[in-house]
Amino acid sequence: MRIVVCVKEVLDPDAVNSFAVAGRLVIGDDGKSLTQTAIPRLMNGFDEQALEAALRLRDAGAKATIAVASIGTDPSNILRHAAALGADEIVHLPADPSTLDGHATAAILAAWIRSTGAADLVLCGRQASDDDQGVVPALLGERLGLPVVTVARAVALSPSGDAVRVTRVTPDGDEVVEVSLPAVVTVSSEIGTPRYPTAARKLQARRMKPLVVPTDALGLGMADLAPKTRLVRQLVPALHGHCELLTGAPAEAAKTLVERLAQDGAI
Amino acid sequence: MADVLVCGWGELVRGIEETLTFGRKLAFALGGKLGALVLGEAPKGISDLAGHYGATTLDTLSDPRLAGNGADALVDALVQACRAGAPRAVVFPQTFDARLVAPRLAGRLGAPIVMNAINAEVEGGILRVTASAYGGDTHAVYEVAKEGPAILAVATTAVRAEPAPSPTAPTLRELAANLSGVSERIRIIEAASAKGPRLEDAGIIVAGGRGLGAREHFALIEQLAEAFGGMAGASRPLVDDGWVDASRQVGLTGHITRPALYVAVGISGASQHMAGCAAAKTIVAINKDADAAIFKHARYGIIGNCLEILPALIRAARERRQAEP
Ligand SMILES: Cc1cc2nc3c(=O)[nH]c(=O)nc-3n(C[C@H](O)[C@H](O)[C@H](O)COP(=O)(O)OP(=O)(O)OC[C@H]3O[C@@H](n4cnc5c(N)ncnc54)[C@H](O)[C@@H]3O)c2cc1C
Ligand SMILES: Nc1ncnc2c1ncn2[C@@H]1O[C@H](COP(=O)(O)O)[C@@H](O)[C@H]1O
Repeated sequence: MRIVVCVKEVLDPDAVNSFAVAGRLVIGDDGKSLTQTAIPRLMNGFDEQALEAALRLRDAGAKATIAVASIGTDPSNILRHAAALGADEIVHLPADPSTLDGHATAAILAAWIRSTGAADLVLCGRQASDDDQGVVPALLGERLGLPVVTVARAVALSPSGDAVRVTRVTPDGDEVVEVSLPAVVTVSSEIGTPRYPTAARKLQARRMKPLVVPTDALGLGMADLAPKTRLVRQLVPALHGHCELLTGAPAEAAKTLVERLAQDGAI
Repeated sequence: MADVLVCGWGELVRGIEETLTFGRKLAFALGGKLGALVLGEAPKGISDLAGHYGATTLDTLSDPRLAGNGADALVDALVQACRAGAPRAVVFPQTFDARLVAPRLAGRLGAPIVMNAINAEVEGGILRVTASAYGGDTHAVYEVAKEGPAILAVATTAVRAEPAPSPTAPTLRELAANLSGVSERIRIIEAASAKGPRLEDAGIIVAGGRGLGAREHFALIEQLAEAFGGMAGASRPLVDDGWVDASRQVGLTGHITRPALYVAVGISGASQHMAGCAAAKTIVAINKDADAAIFKHARYGIIGNCLEILPALIRAARERRQAEP
């Protein structure tokens, strides 16, 4: 079977957090970009976990080729990381994600998947940690006419090999569903920590060049790529804290806190 | 059909008031009317509620195929309702289900979509929607094209519910859709069956983070939660490391809560965590780092080692409980 994993390069969200907390997250002159060059770029965490899900399917005995694709200006680092982890193919679809919306992103991914003669399973992250939108997998599913199963913590191939069994993390607890292939499945952090590449494979992957497939080679025109939503401004919301610090020894501070909460009617 | 349509299904969800408020303001900005659409069996009291928030119409669309709230049936029904009524915006409270249904609807209609919406404005006829990004570290403003209805999902904990200045009596209408072609492609093998109450509904939550230091210290969180008569929650690293079950996770990709009291213990206050608890009326922070972000959100704070403070707090809370008549 052929598994496609869609991965996006994002700014390290922990670093973005740290800059924000320190009050040093600033928006560039264009009014919409984060310009902190010190923030590293890496593979979206959920996408790394989607790749992990693919690798686990293979570990479990599925005869699968794994193709990892990314739309970006230069995602070669994250694609090499994917190769080091065990991806058979790495594919770069050149476009600037900041000028695309979910529809255009899904259009490119769908056209590329079709051009390769389809996929049995498309794995995505549940959402990208930069825009937090979580719409591309559903839009991709609609474009390809495939069912979409979201927020997986486990993905297993059915014995017959023509369906997957997915454990979903819902607010009401785990739900187990089955869906016939081909299908789109999104993966959540509950799947667990992704593996690390071995030093040898990392070295090997360093020499690998992603296959570059330009959007015009996919027969996509301006209309397919024109976004329906356009980022026009980004701002850093101000936090106005007014925290009352309760001091003293633990017993004293604890007592004051309980009194305050009782006075406020919070307990 | 109304110009702005707030859609829902199943039981009344937390956040529906906030979504209706968002919808009414958007309708006003567009110079149009707010309507509500209920798919499947309408929950009791929905008409009063919709009227309270200014909806002029309440549409219901029922069909046996909607009974299980399957995504294929919901999307199909919504596509037909949108094609028939041509609303300018379709607004969902961003529930777990809506996170899939909204973008699928957008895909089917070729319509613009924005999730995590917290505000919408119309300027010179152009719709601009503000959504949170990076867990809330930034706000992104999107300009939304006019093709098709704008599909918006509202981050309801970041919006304040405000009833309409004068309530309306919505006109009730039954919509019809042909769902005979729908058969759900996703088969449920084991339904989710939450044990006990949900964090979403908890009035008091005591949550522990990585600052607890060791798995066994989570027992202190459970004890304090019990002493306060609340539920225990956790930040994501505790779930990632297998200390607690995923059902405990509070945050952007965990449970979105709105308790009266949220006690964050050994939690730094990362935006993605706060996305699940910032709507709490009172936040208490216990952290050894005076510069931790959590203190920017908290009403009360104690700086110190949580392993020393928790036992004292458990004692104080229990004493107060016993003193209560
Ligand atoms: C896309 C995305 C989605 C995410 N979704 C979620 C989510 O849903 N929920 C979530 O929680 N996180 C989520 N995260 C992770 C989030 O960004 C943070 O990494 C996480 O919340 C940090 O957890 P923490 O505060 O427990 O740990 P840390 O950030 O490590 O903080 C530990 C805190 O404990 C304090 N501490 C240490 N020792 C003690 C002590 N003895 N006594 C008192 N205090 C002490 C430290 O000062 C520190 O402030 C997400 C991240 C991404 C990128
Ligand atoms: N530029 C991209 N390249 C490849 N995959 C992407 C891209 N953007 C989004 N995706 C996939 O879609 C998922 C959800 O993204 P989003 O809808 O942007 O939150 C991600 O986790 C990826 O799996």
